[in-house]
Amino acid sequence: MNMRWFPDEMPVPGVNAETNGWWEAAARHRLVVQRCTACDQTRHPPGPICPRCRSTASQWSDLPGTGSVFTYTVVRQAFIPSLADHLPYIVIAVELDQGGGARMVSNLIDIDPFDVSIGMRVDVVWEDMGPQLAVPRFRPATGAASGSATGSTTGSATGTDAKGAHA
Amino acid sequence: MSRGTRNGHRAVIAGVATSDYPRLPEMSEHAVHGQAADRALADAGLTMADVDGFASTGFFPMYATGVAEYLGLHPTYYDETNAGGASFEVLVEHAAYAIECGAAEVVLITYGSIQLSQMGRRLGTGGGGGAGFAPGPAIYDALWGNTLVGSYALAARRHMHQFGTTPEQLASVAVTMRQHAASNPQAQEREPITVEDVVSSRLVADPLHKLDCCVISDGGGACVVTTAERAADLRKTPIHILGAAHSTTHHMNISAMPDLTVTPAAQCGPIAFARAGISPADVDVAQLYDSFTITVVLTVEDLGFCPKGEGGAFVENGGLGLGGRLPTNTDGGGLSACHPGMRGMFLIVEAVRQLRGEGGATQVPDAKIAVAHGTGGMLSTGATLILGQEAP
Repeated sequence: MNMRWFPDEMPVPGVNAETNGWWEAAARHRLVVQRCTACDQTRHPPGPICPRCRSTASQWSDLPGTGSVFTYTVVRQAFIPSLADHLPYIVIAVELDQGGGARMVSNLIDIDPFDVSIGMRVDVVWEDMGPQLAVPRFRPATGAASGSATGSTTGSATGTDAKGAHA
Repeated sequence: MSRGTRNGHRAVIAGVATSDYPRLPEMSEHAVHGQAADRALADAGLTMADVDGFASTGFFPMYATGVAEYLGLHPTYYDETNAGGASFEVLVEHAAYAIECGAAEVVLITYGSIQLSQMGRRLGTGGGGGAGFAPGPAIYDALWGNTLVGSYALAARRHMHQFGTTPEQLASVAVTMRQHAASNPQAQEREPITVEDVVSSRLVADPLHKLDCCVISDGGGACVVTTAERAADLRKTPIHILGAAHSTTHHMNISAMPDLTVTPAAQCGPIAFARAGISPADVDVAQLYDSFTITVVLTVEDLGFCPKGEGGAFVENGGLGLGGRLPTNTDGGGLSACHPGMRGMFLIVEAVRQLRGEGGATQVPDAKIAVAHGTGGMLSTGATLILGQEAP
C-alpha cells in the first residue's frame, strides 16, 4: 500500500515494502544503503532481490554520510513547478563512502554552482519535510568527519545565484 | 535476419511513411497513426486488407490494441513492446522474427503522437509537468528535482570529465542536424545555427543548453515489414533487415546506470553488426537517436564508429555531415526536424529512404548500408537495426 508523504507541489514517494525501511531510516537522519546479507552486494534504489546472488535477504546498512561527487548538473529551468523559486539548483550523483559502489542522486547545497567539481568531498545534511519525512542533501565537506549531521536546514536547495548563463 | 530464417523467409521493409509534422493541433493521436499507416501501405502498394500483423506502442497498456481497433485491424500477430525511444527499432526486430518464422506475412508498425499540442512546450526535456505521484524507484531522482534532461546532463558532465569532451563538440552535433534540417521543408527548426549559438543559448541543465536538447513535436510514422518474396512484386525496392539487436542496462534511475558514459548500444551494437555480418566501417549512413547532443556522442562510440572517449572529436567539424565521417540524421533529427517523444520510427523511415535513393537534398551518394539506433529512457535502452539495399 502506498502512503503519500509529500505535499502536492512536489513529487511524492510511493513508499512500499521495498523502500519503506529506507525512508524510515531517513526520518531518523540515518543514511543507509540496502545490503544483501548473503553476498554483501549493495543496491540503490532499494529492491526486493539481490541482482548478483538472487537472495531476498537484506539489511539497512548505516553509512557515514560522506561521499564524493561522481557527476553533477546545475538545473536552471523549473520542470517541477514548485522548484521555480529554487533555481538554479544542483543535482549530483554522489558516490557514498562505504556504500559498496552505490550511488544516489541528491542535491548539493551551500555552494556556488561554478565551484562544483567532480570528485569533491561532500557531507550529508538533513532536511525535515514532515514528521515522518527527512530528505538527505549534501554540502561541501567541512574537513571534519561530520557523518550524520543532525538538525534540519532550510527548505532551500538553492546555491548562490549564478551570474547569468555561461558556456 | 541471417540468424533466423527457419522457414526460409527473409524480412524486408516494403513501405515507409511519415505523417504530417511537426504541428498537428487539429489531429488526434490515433489520426496521426492512421495517416502514417495509410501512407506507408500506399508506399508499399498494399492495403489494410493485406495486413495480418500489427505493432505500435505508447504510454499506456494495451496501446497497440487500441490503435488496431481504430485502424479496423484484427491482427493475428501483435506487439507493443515499449523501450521508450528505442521502441520502434525493437518492434521492427520482433516483426522480422515473426516474418522469418512464418507467424505473420505483412506487419504494419505505426507511431503517432501529439505531444507538442498536448503539452504546449517545445524543449525535449522530459519534465512532464513535475508535480504528482512518482511511482516506485523514480522518486529516488524526482524528489531531488532531477529530470530527464538532468539525467542526460549528468552523463554529459561525466563524459566531459573522463574524456575532455567540450561543450563545443557537443554543440557541433546540433549544428550539423540543423544543416540537414534546412533541406527538410517539414523540419520544425530550419534556421542555420553555429557552435557559438548553441553554447550561448540558455543553459537548461548544465552542461546542456537549450540547443543541445531536441524539439518537441507532433507527428508519427509507419513502416511495413514483410517477406522478401512478397515484396518482390510490390511497388518499391525492398530494404533488407540485415541484423538487429537490443539491450537495456537500467530503468528510470540514472544512479543505477553502471557507467554513465556507456549506453546499452555498447551491448546491442556489436551483436547487431555480427548478425548482419558487417562492421561499422561498412555503414554509409546513420540515423542515431538524438534526444540530446550527448546521446549522439555516446552512441557513435558505443556502436564502434570510434573508440570510447573520442566521440567528441568524431562529431566535430562536420563529422556527422554529408561528406563527413558518418553522415547522420539526414532529415535533421530530433534536434531540429521532429521529436514527438519516441522518435525511433523516424530513424527507420529516413534510413529506408536513404537506401532507396529518396533522400533528396541530403541523399548520401550510393548509400548501401544504413544503421538506425534508438535510445530510450534515461540512456536505459538501446536498439540497433542494420538495413541494406541488398540481401545478406
